[in-house]
Amino acid sequence: MTLQAETRTAIERARDRYPLPRSAILPALWAVQGELGQITPDAMGEVATILQVAPSEVEAVSTFYSMYFQHPHGRHEVIVCINVSCALRGAEGIVEHLERSLGCASGETTADGEFTWSSTVECLGACGGAPSMQVDHHFQENLTADRVDEVLGALRGAGPAVAGTPRRAIRRRDPAGGGAGGSAGRRLGAEMPGPRTQHDGESDPAAERGGGPAPTGPAGPPASPAAPPASPAPPKRPRRPRKDAS
Amino acid sequence: MADTANTPPEQPDDGRVGISIDGRTARVPKGTLVLDAATELGIHIPIYCAHPKMEPVAVCRMCLVNIEKFPKPQPACATIAGEGMVVRTNIPEVAKLREGMLEFLLLNHPLDCPVCDRGGECDLQDFTFRYGPGISRFPITEKVHFKKALPLSQHIELDQERCILCWRCVRYYDEITGEKEIVLQQRGVETLVATFDDQPLQSKFQGNLPEICPVGALTHREYRFVSRPWDLLRTASVCPECSYGCNINVDSRDFEIRRFASRDNPLVDDMWLCDRGRYSFPKWNSSERVRRPILTSDDESRDVSVQEAITQSARRLREIADEYGAASIGVLGSASSTNEELFLLERLARSVIGTPHVDHQLESFDDISASEHTLGIAEIEECDVLVVLGTEPEEQAPVLTLRLYKAERKHGARIIRLSGDAGVDQAVAATTGGARIGLIADETNRSHAAAMAKGIGAVRRLTTTRGPNGRGAKDLGLLPNVGPGYASVSEAGRNGRQILEGLAKGELRGLLMLGPNPALEADADLLTRALRAAACVIAIDTRPGIVSRGATVLIPGHAIFEKAGSLTNVEGRVQRIRTALPPASATPVETRILTSIAKEMGAEEWGDGDPLAVNRVLRDALPAYAAAGNGGRALFAAEAVA
Amino acid sequence: MAEYKLLTKDFGAEALQTLKGYERTGGYQGLRDAFTKFTPEELVAEVKTSNIRGRGGAGFPTGMKWSFLPKDVFPRYLCCNADESEPGCFKDRYLIDESPHQLVEGLLIASYALQVNTSFIYIRGEYHDQRLLLDRAVEEARAAGYIGRNILGSGFDCDVIVHGGAGAYICGEETALIDSLEGLRGQPRLKPPFPAIKGLYGQPTVVNNVETLCNMPHIVQRSGEWFKSIGTEKSSGTRVFCCSGHINRPGNYEMQLGTSIRELLEEHCGGMWQGRSLKAFQPGGGSMQVLLPEHIDLPLDMNAVQEAGSSLGAGAMIFMDETTCLVDVSMRLVDFYRHESCGKCVPCREGTYFESELMHRLEAGRATPAELASLADICSNMDGRCFCPLGDTATWFVMSAYKYFRGEFEAHCGAGRCPVRAQATALVA
Repeated sequence: MTLQAETRTAIERARDRYPLPRSAILPALWAVQGELGQITPDAMGEVATILQVAPSEVEAVSTFYSMYFQHPHGRHEVIVCINVSCALRGAEGIVEHLERSLGCASGETTADGEFTWSSTVECLGACGGAPSMQVDHHFQENLTADRVDEVLGALRGAGPAVAGTPRRAIRRRDPAGGGAGGSAGRRLGAEMPGPRTQHDGESDPAAERGGGPAPTGPAGPPASPAAPPASPAPPKRPRRPRKDAS
Repeated sequence: MADTANTPPEQPDDGRVGISIDGRTARVPKGTLVLDAATELGIHIPIYCAHPKMEPVAVCRMCLVNIEKFPKPQPACATIAGEGMVVRTNIPEVAKLREGMLEFLLLNHPLDCPVCDRGGECDLQDFTFRYGPGISRFPITEKVHFKKALPLSQHIELDQERCILCWRCVRYYDEITGEKEIVLQQRGVETLVATFDDQPLQSKFQGNLPEICPVGALTHREYRFVSRPWDLLRTASVCPECSYGCNINVDSRDFEIRRFASRDNPLVDDMWLCDRGRYSFPKWNSSERVRRPILTSDDESRDVSVQEAITQSARRLREIADEYGAASIGVLGSASSTNEELFLLERLARSVIGTPHVDHQLESFDDISASEHTLGIAEIEECDVLVVLGTEPEEQAPVLTLRLYKAERKHGARIIRLSGDAGVDQAVAATTGGARIGLIADETNRSHAAAMAKGIGAVRRLTTTRGPNGRGAKDLGLLPNVGPGYASVSEAGRNGRQILEGLAKGELRGLLMLGPNPALEADADLLTRALRAAACVIAIDTRPGIVSRGATVLIPGHAIFEKAGSLTNVEGRVQRIRTALPPASATPVETRILTSIAKEMGAEEWGDGDPLAVNRVLRDALPAYAAAGNGGRALFAAEAVA
Repeated sequence: MAEYKLLTKDFGAEALQTLKGYERTGGYQGLRDAFTKFTPEELVAEVKTSNIRGRGGAGFPTGMKWSFLPKDVFPRYLCCNADESEPGCFKDRYLIDESPHQLVEGLLIASYALQVNTSFIYIRGEYHDQRLLLDRAVEEARAAGYIGRNILGSGFDCDVIVHGGAGAYICGEETALIDSLEGLRGQPRLKPPFPAIKGLYGQPTVVNNVETLCNMPHIVQRSGEWFKSIGTEKSSGTRVFCCSGHINRPGNYEMQLGTSIRELLEEHCGGMWQGRSLKAFQPGGGSMQVLLPEHIDLPLDMNAVQEAGSSLGAGAMIFMDETTCLVDVSMRLVDFYRHESCGKCVPCREGTYFESELMHRLEAGRATPAELASLADICSNMDGRCFCPLGDTATWFVMSAYKYFRGEFEAHCGAGRCPVRAQATALVA
């Protein structure tokens, strides 16, 4: 038995929610990665047993999606978007800054095991607050070098390891001779810090939500662990029977 | 403007639709894919992912064709022919897209044809030559690299770089076997096929993978660097490893079999072979053979001519019959012999020698009848309930498992696997409500299966036997209690075990046997004692062993790939085998030997023993075999169910 | 002209993300009205009347999509597509961040109309906090009796499952979304059969975008006729436009369809930043063709933009100033498709790789004119030949940029570096 009882329970609960057990593969993998920090063959075997599918089918799914990976990452995951909107607003400068300040290339982990960072072309959905990144799946937008330092500095050594949902490093070969992620020297338009206004003057639409569970800006340890969708907290009520179990 | 020359005329609804492809028209059954309509019209459309036994996926995009009124080219493998459809494949648009797809495929392909086993029978080579670009035009910095020469098991090697991601192996493991051993992993251009955690394949049907793979990604390890296809001699025959009778192609080079390949017979193997059968070919290349007739008297063996062997055989049998009676001679055929050989052997035994002691295996079965083979293999798919008794049937004939899975998956059949000794009421309960019921059992469980069939009522049966011609041996009366065609006999004789025991004790004196016969050699001790004690043993066999050491007259036999003839499979299907290898000896084939012996013993009107001529006589004698012809089922009993 | 705040009207209201806050602004009255004033068939007819088109990118008329479900086949399923991953697009996130209950209510109304007893919200894995907001909203709605058995005494049962993805743009394609929801690799399916006939678990299924569903409470309460009267003849209602790039005020703006793009840019986005001028813009997110300053007076209308050679798509506007290198933008988008290609079909899997390698060489100034010429040919072998639109759209931007900025592309050949950037740096310095 690789997985803890709590994780197994979460997977079973997810399985019973869906009309078909195998639909719970994604929530199950999130639960696994939440506990182990990665997806291991043993864990996949256990998921397969609980969901009544072949282990090969679990592996087929887990390797398809960018957010699962098969080897451990640092305690915190940093992903910087370099798609068009962010690149237009200086994402490459942020990338360079991260390379310098963290001392490793995109896709790598810092020497102290604190951060794994990578640049990605997978638009994160923060184009209005470009340049942007996600830290442990929480948005950080309107980035400057200082802001990046602020956010990461607050996390560094600031709490227990987050069994987060780190991202698989994306190997992107750069024939132009850059490193993995290919960021050196590439800018899109001139990078100007300049006056930067956000819609309605708010600094981060997601940051200050009254009553929302999302942590505010540069908080200390992330308020909620980047938990799997399955069931991060104990249920508030007994499990409801499935509706169309006809 | 409609191209009237290409538009087929309107027709009344006859369940068909009119389609025109490149100006050629045809009326095809509703539901026909454009790809199949094209094949019918003799128009070649290149494909990779499409496969006759699998659902279309349309991922390779090679079969895109222009169809009038469709804005984009459509995949012929996944488009159903519609009334009045006008399809074009011989236009520049289609030629360009084919060239484009091939260029894409070759982009990340290692192009290692010189060291790839598939060379010469590779669809990537063939289609590139026929439809593809002449040169590569873009110096890609680095191809995407994967593992090469990755052993997936003792049988299969995977080269992930050569893989064109046609998905056939993945779909095979999903749709055909259900074992899901190979899956896709990763995404985009990094996609590859692999097993779970790189674990080895366990399937009993791995050998089909290199055949369905259109390129050299999946290859046989036993065939690695062995030959090129143009150096092979291909012979159509039947796999001799079990009684299912899968059709095969025997590929030989320099008089040695290099591989068995499948030969699609939708009624039997449905294009699939099991690994046990497919990889059994090396033993047929053994050079340990009986090569010359040998006469042994007073513990002295000497080579003799064929004629002398025949004469000695006839004389000694005559002598024993005269002195001790015909019933002092036992005759044993083999489930590895051809129908023609067994037909002659039975006649020689009962009509010429006059002995009732005839069999082909050790045990006999009192209630043997033709009703145990009323369910055809393909008819399994028509059943809505199928009971499989015990594990033996699928162990004996592994390909049966695939047909059962097909019935389940494609037709929704209920497959109920019971233990061999399950009660009749259990079977009755399980099959309640079934409209077309099938019962599959092994011959060792014959009686119990018969009782079960009686309890269920309207049911068709299939019985797995031993040896490539276990069924033929029974049809042709190589049994102590029934004659050819399951006709009754005037006098029941001893079964195989009783014959051997009789010889060992001196109750019987002579033995005439056709080999090889693995069924007898299963009780090596009894066989050895019997041969030692017998006064005279006339044996035709292929290999040195117990029989060759114990024979008085040993005549070299032809292995199954060294002769022509027919074999009858579990469902009664009579199938031709053909000569794929030269014989190991200069001795004539068994049918000629038996004919000569019979003639020397005074038999008349036996012809000359040519296998084809014998086959004609056989058909004359057994109407069921005449009706079966070559490739049909020989049915003796009326159908058990409607 | 001001924003037309229909969906975003109450955004910023106190505790709008909570049930109480949402109900305070009149939330869930639409659901009540749906049950009391409409039969399911009448609701479908009302949505048809509204002429609303899907807001996910394809713009297919929603009412027509709903009417494809066969009458007597059950169960059927409804999936909300919250897999927003189109470059430049962040409206669905905004709608969920600000008012998750609006989506839940819209989903429930649609479920009732379609007689769906189990609905799903498929939300992209990266929207972690948004998923938690939805989880909480669903639980609140359940506690209030809006989700579950016999909702509001209507006799209608409905369960809602929030399902998190794990990072795959392709899962935004409806059949890939369905495959992903079934626990398979999220790869598109052969059509036919269409999801309306055979979708999730082989049952009739409808997949709708977040924004599309958020409109349902408003259509119910104010009528389909009213909705049709806003916007244009071919594109009714409002849309939330995501504006990003070299503008002064990036963000989401809800505009009545028919408003000009110029107005959106100048009045709401504050115009181009740094006093710079517009060089090019993309009206529909990364998949759509680029447009030029001459197109800035086009109305925000699906058909009008289509006639100009592009599409409003998912409503994501990216504005680029004169320092922008279109080759670099093309390269990033091509990289995006290469990263997101599911790998199922040959032309997309290998073609996006081919494009990506070529664009990197071009951007670095190391491609030859022959290689650049082959780019158009490669794209012509992809467009219209791929299994799903991803492969097709992977060619649209770069081909349109090549058409309009051919000189810029050609100037990169053999230049050894990006000539536009060199010029831009000089400009800025």
